[in-house]
Amino acid sequence: MKIAVVGKGGSGKTTTSAILARTLARSGRHVVALDCDTNPNLGLSLGLGMEATEGLISLRDSVGDDVEHARTWESIVARFGADAPDGVRLAIVSKIEDPDFGCP
Amino acid sequence: MRVAFVGKGGAGKSVIAGAFCRLLARSSDRPVVAIDSDSMPGLAFSLGVPSTDTMLPPEIVEQVGPDSEREFVLRDGLTALQAVERYAAESADGVRLLQFGKLRGHVRAAGPSQQAFRVVVDGLRGADCHLIGDLPGGTRQPFFGWASFADIIIVVAEATPSSMLAARRLARLARPGGPAEHQRIVAVVNKAVDPADSEHVARFTKLRVVGVVPADPAVWAAERAGVALIDAAPASPAVKAITSLVESIVVEAP
Repeated sequence: MKIAVVGKGGSGKTTTSAILARTLARSGRHVVALDCDTNPNLGLSLGLGMEATEGLISLRDSVGDDVEHARTWESIVARFGADAPDGVRLAIVSKIEDPDFGCP
Repeated sequence: MRVAFVGKGGAGKSVIAGAFCRLLARSSDRPVVAIDSDSMPGLAFSLGVPSTDTMLPPEIVEQVGPDSEREFVLRDGLTALQAVERYAAESADGVRLLQFGKLRGHVRAAGPSQQAFRVVVDGLRGADCHLIGDLPGGTRQPFFGWASFADIIIVVAEATPSSMLAARRLARLARPGGPAEHQRIVAVVNKAVDPADSEHVARFTKLRVVGVVPADPAVWAAERAGVALIDAAPASPAVKAITSLVESIVVEAP
């Protein structure tokens, strides 16, 4: 099952996602939580703590331009993700490092 | 002066920016142009502009050059400020609102108006007016081109870990190479509940705090009602704090 949580800034997406992820994990499911926000704070809401949240490398950066030798998503999440409480595996998708990155 | 508001989604950028524009317009002779670079409507509500759909008419720009290297310019004889005065929505106190445009269905549908937005904002660079920008939440394209010519970047932050973390990332993004040296990056603490909140934000973000807006039920009430805070509760603690913010920013601006 794949669930996407969207909404306006400040409406509670991250909090809802974190509680969903931990509740599902407690019921015995294998849960991967993907933070797709370029301002990734899901780790905080999952209870991972500030330093661990800040220290995560984004999957996009981990893959870089090496599309030829792209690994499976499982191996990337295993290598670059982090373990959050209740057995949720957290990974962040992208982080913006460039102030005028991309198009609007 | 040119001021950009940035911060985490929900930190209160639009509410503060809207009241800031209205108060600035009351105290200044120059036109105040509010720029909403967010594709979600926020600033229209906090300015009290009746329509949340106030895009510029695409006809004000024309394409020059071939399609392969096309460029858009303002239609003959029209200056950016004239375009704003003629076509942008106007709030009470005379603030003009420029909106980047909603994303309707397919992004491309709003294309021509968004070109007009870009051309006008770029043309306002040298105009004799105050430019106040409300930038999209979070760190996704936070600086959105035009903020590179803002004099002051105001990072709005609550004294919560996620909000301060976003503020610190934004402060970091704003510094290296990007904005010019004259630019100032400062913080405004929003929804403050404790006298220590200001120090907390200052210590964590390493930004100078230039204003503290208290947590104020009047803000929630105005948001729920969909009306501008400054109209709904002109004597509220939040409006008083934003009044002081305007006064101190006016003094600081180059």
